[in-house]
Amino acid sequence: MEYLILLAVLVPILGAFILPLIGWYAPKIRNLTALALVTISCGASALLVKPVLAGHIPTMTFPFPLGFDLILTADALGIFMAMVSSFIGMIIVIYSFGYIRHEANQNEYYLMVVLFLGSMMGIVYSQNLIYIYLFWEIAAICCWRLIGFYREREIILKADKAFLITVFGALAMLVGFIMLYNDFGTFDLRAMHGRAAPNVAVLLIMFGIFSKSATLPFHTWLPDAGVAPSPVTALLHAAVLVKIGVFAFARIFVGSLAIDPRWDHILPVVIALSALVAGGAALVETNIKRIIAYSTVSQIAFIFLGLMMKNPLAIAGGLLFILMHGLAKGGLFLCAGIVEHNTHTKDIRQMGGLIKTMPITAVSFACCALSVMGIPPFGGFFSKYMVIAGTLQTGNFMIAAVFLFGAVLTILYLFRMFNLVFLGEIKNPAVREGSYLMVCCVAVLAILSLAGGIFIRYPNQIIQATIQQLMGVR
Amino acid sequence: MIDVILFLLIVIPLIVGILSFLLPKSARGICALVVTVVNFCMAVFLLKKECIVTLPWAGFGIDFSFRLYQFSGFIMLAVSFFSVLITLYSLNFLKDKDSSRQFYTYLLITLSFANGAVLANNLVVLLFFWEGLLLPLYGLIVIGGGKAFKTATKAFMIVGISDLCMMAGVALTGYLAKTLVIQDITLPLDAPGSLAFILLGIGAIAKAGAIPFHTWIPDAAEDAPLPFMAFFPAAIEKLLGIYFLARITLDLFQLNAHAGLSIILMTVGAITIIVAVMMALIQKDYKKLLSYHAISQVGYMILGIGTCLPAGIIGGIFHMLNHAMYKCGLFLTAGAVEKGTGTTDLERLGGLRSKMPVTFACYVIVAASISGVPPFNGFFSKELIYDAALERGAIFVLVAILGSFFTAVSFLKLGHAAFLGKARQEYQAVKEAHLSMLIPMIILAFVCVIFGVFNHIPINNFIQPILGENGEGHHFTGMPTNLTLVMISLLVLLGAFIHHFTAVKIMGGILKAVDHIHYAPGLSLLYQWAEKKYFDPYEIGIRLINKMSNLFWWLDRSVDWVYESLVVRVACGCSTAIRRIHAGYYVIYVVWSLLGAFLVIILFVLN
Repeated sequence: MEYLILLAVLVPILGAFILPLIGWYAPKIRNLTALALVTISCGASALLVKPVLAGHIPTMTFPFPLGFDLILTADALGIFMAMVSSFIGMIIVIYSFGYIRHEANQNEYYLMVVLFLGSMMGIVYSQNLIYIYLFWEIAAICCWRLIGFYREREIILKADKAFLITVFGALAMLVGFIMLYNDFGTFDLRAMHGRAAPNVAVLLIMFGIFSKSATLPFHTWLPDAGVAPSPVTALLHAAVLVKIGVFAFARIFVGSLAIDPRWDHILPVVIALSALVAGGAALVETNIKRIIAYSTVSQIAFIFLGLMMKNPLAIAGGLLFILMHGLAKGGLFLCAGIVEHNTHTKDIRQMGGLIKTMPITAVSFACCALSVMGIPPFGGFFSKYMVIAGTLQTGNFMIAAVFLFGAVLTILYLFRMFNLVFLGEIKNPAVREGSYLMVCCVAVLAILSLAGGIFIRYPNQIIQATIQQLMGVR
Repeated sequence: MIDVILFLLIVIPLIVGILSFLLPKSARGICALVVTVVNFCMAVFLLKKECIVTLPWAGFGIDFSFRLYQFSGFIMLAVSFFSVLITLYSLNFLKDKDSSRQFYTYLLITLSFANGAVLANNLVVLLFFWEGLLLPLYGLIVIGGGKAFKTATKAFMIVGISDLCMMAGVALTGYLAKTLVIQDITLPLDAPGSLAFILLGIGAIAKAGAIPFHTWIPDAAEDAPLPFMAFFPAAIEKLLGIYFLARITLDLFQLNAHAGLSIILMTVGAITIIVAVMMALIQKDYKKLLSYHAISQVGYMILGIGTCLPAGIIGGIFHMLNHAMYKCGLFLTAGAVEKGTGTTDLERLGGLRSKMPVTFACYVIVAASISGVPPFNGFFSKELIYDAALERGAIFVLVAILGSFFTAVSFLKLGHAAFLGKARQEYQAVKEAHLSMLIPMIILAFVCVIFGVFNHIPINNFIQPILGENGEGHHFTGMPTNLTLVMISLLVLLGAFIHHFTAVKIMGGILKAVDHIHYAPGLSLLYQWAEKKYFDPYEIGIRLINKMSNLFWWLDRSVDWVYESLVVRVACGCSTAIRRIHAGYYVIYVVWSLLGAFLVIILFVLN
């Protein structure tokens, strides 16, 4: 059973390098191989669900000197995150078949996408801080190449910006990890369980986490990263990149280390500001992809809020938020991709009435937007409710009120965008619906957002198990 | 058996509603009619039955739990009754309209969610269906076409924000009570309890459309398709909102007449009555006038329930039922007029009595009901509310009676302008509405009479049992007991009658009959501002939020400036400085070497 973890991690990482070789001969086979690699990884994670729900935690250890042991464990948290990422990644790869079809550098594109997902698998299954850092940086490199996929100078600069901010954050985090090693004599997170981390180390690690998860004041690279092709932005926002930071927070601070209670007062204020500033900026912005990016910054704050409250309900809400936000935000970006591909503009003021010409995209967009807003029967409702309810239960009324206001802003900017793009007078009469494959992808994400709400029982089982493992309670 | 039916009540309309997209246009209406009739039959079957179903759902105490009992069965019956009527009415009304494509889908989804909200026995399940109603609300307004999506967004925002408050209320209540099962919750009204009550109450009264959550309703009257107005603001939302308000005051929190919250509720009710009716008075559009009355009447219900006295609560719930009947009926007459003449502008209407006699007859009955003319149903429920309000404070009765006066005045104006007066040339060819539109109106008018004359049927069967032990030993049926109040309200009606006809004579025009109020000193300015939406909390809020988001935007840009400019400039500055130092002049290097040697010597000396 343990080999499934290796399969989930190594297949995409090693397989990614074969893709360019195949691509020189047969692009179609390369595309399908890329899909197969991601699917195998997702399948391997899925097969691990049953033993983990039964209470078994598969573990593999490869000893190395100096604390560099490679420790891979499939606990409920890891499996949950791995399935969310690889599943959404799978849909994004399928979507790319249509979107990237006419672009140059496709070999590199698929290499980077699959490697990106592979490094995500590495992060979620690793229990050793050094390997988390290693995969973290592999992800940063992939994201640098993917954001700079179109080779214009402006775009390359944005890619550099994203790379520099996240890498400086990661370096700070590495220093934090080394401080932890000096204190505890190990990089193994399981050995650190329940031990108090020094404040400076926490601060340094939070730099890394906040820069990767695009939280104020390290968030501005994320809207700028919207210059990338839409499937890449979807990957960054929904499946992999920004979720890395959130996941690392859950793994390190919720699941393992104990931190000074003072952080419980500081961190929520930072993320509350992040939610408000990003929500406000999304209301002013007019570029469709930047709006959705700001929305991510604001929603990431909700996830952090859930994870920061030491309350099972809030943490469950935060984890559920990762899933629901991934599905819905992925859908939003892919819809935005179709819109942008077919109207040749990103300015929402130059769009209008598109529901007439691209009805399926419009309805899918609406479903995903409603899920992000947290309107039932979509899945976002439960995650939002649990986060807010959990926050209230810990007595943080002010923070909860700020986040409720953040939720109001969310409804406002998503409606503003939907109304301007899809309703009103028709400004782009010659536009057609996206290709069959691309429309299918967004429809699937929309339907899953809906199903996530109605059949909340099933994702909830994994989350219950996660909470049990993280906090020892049900 | 019963538990299966409970799920069917939700699943059938939902599935059929979504699948009806696939049907040809003509079949959709029929299909929706069949579903609503089936739903109605199931609701009748379930009446007076009790059942609790619980299924595991999202964990953390959030179980998918339904409870069928006397109150929920009654509200469900009412909801399905109105769905049948509105569907029947829309068959003809929407026949030639594009919007019918989605109308029935949204109507069925509404039915499904409303059933779910009424049956829910878990606060989160309640919230799930309650907030879910935002979707059909938005959809039904958007299909009005044109700029309707702006109104739809407004409606969505206002109701959505109140639902967020309710969500916080649900979370707080669940935390305080340590359970989310509605049946098991009884909370005292201490500080956190009061906060939870207020938050839940905001959800309830916003759904019902009380001030200050009302401003989308008049806008929707202009933009949305008419059956929506008859269905949503007139019937479903009142039923749900007042149902939930009654639940939280009676079951969840045991509000009593000594609580300060009771005064707050009554004040909200009184303000809603008077402000909305003043706005209704000056309207010159059939639908818009009705929409303001739909708000004003909520005030009576909230006032009644807010009194916390058995008579007031019974009166409030009875008024809710009556209001749904006559307001729905009134909107349907507006639809018949719109279908026949193509307009609802009162300036252009007139003399329709001879052309549409059945519609006119229905109008007279339902308008008399809303004005509180005995022996129609509105009279009895209003008297109950007056009775209870009098016990709590004369000011509330005064406001309520003043509200009745203006209500009567405005319906006299409306009826006079639309149906009486000289028949216009252009409406010579107008015919009576189609039979499928007349039947719902006739049924509603008929029920208004029945519920008035035989008011013991609804009160004894449906409403009084809600109170349980508190209601025993009281009699609320038959003629009102306080004859002074009856006399006063009759005098007020007479006064309204006299006022209308003298004013018409003096001012020289039917619509000018209220001009002396409209242009009264002081009031005229207020009316002007109200027309310009200066008092609209939504518009004010949006302006504030826009200003705030500009500030946030500026903050965001300044953070970005740090990365884009400051960091770059500092880096460039440093490298330029270092480059200057390393310019290749060997003198500089000698100076550096000497300085270094000097430092080394000093260090040695110090050590």
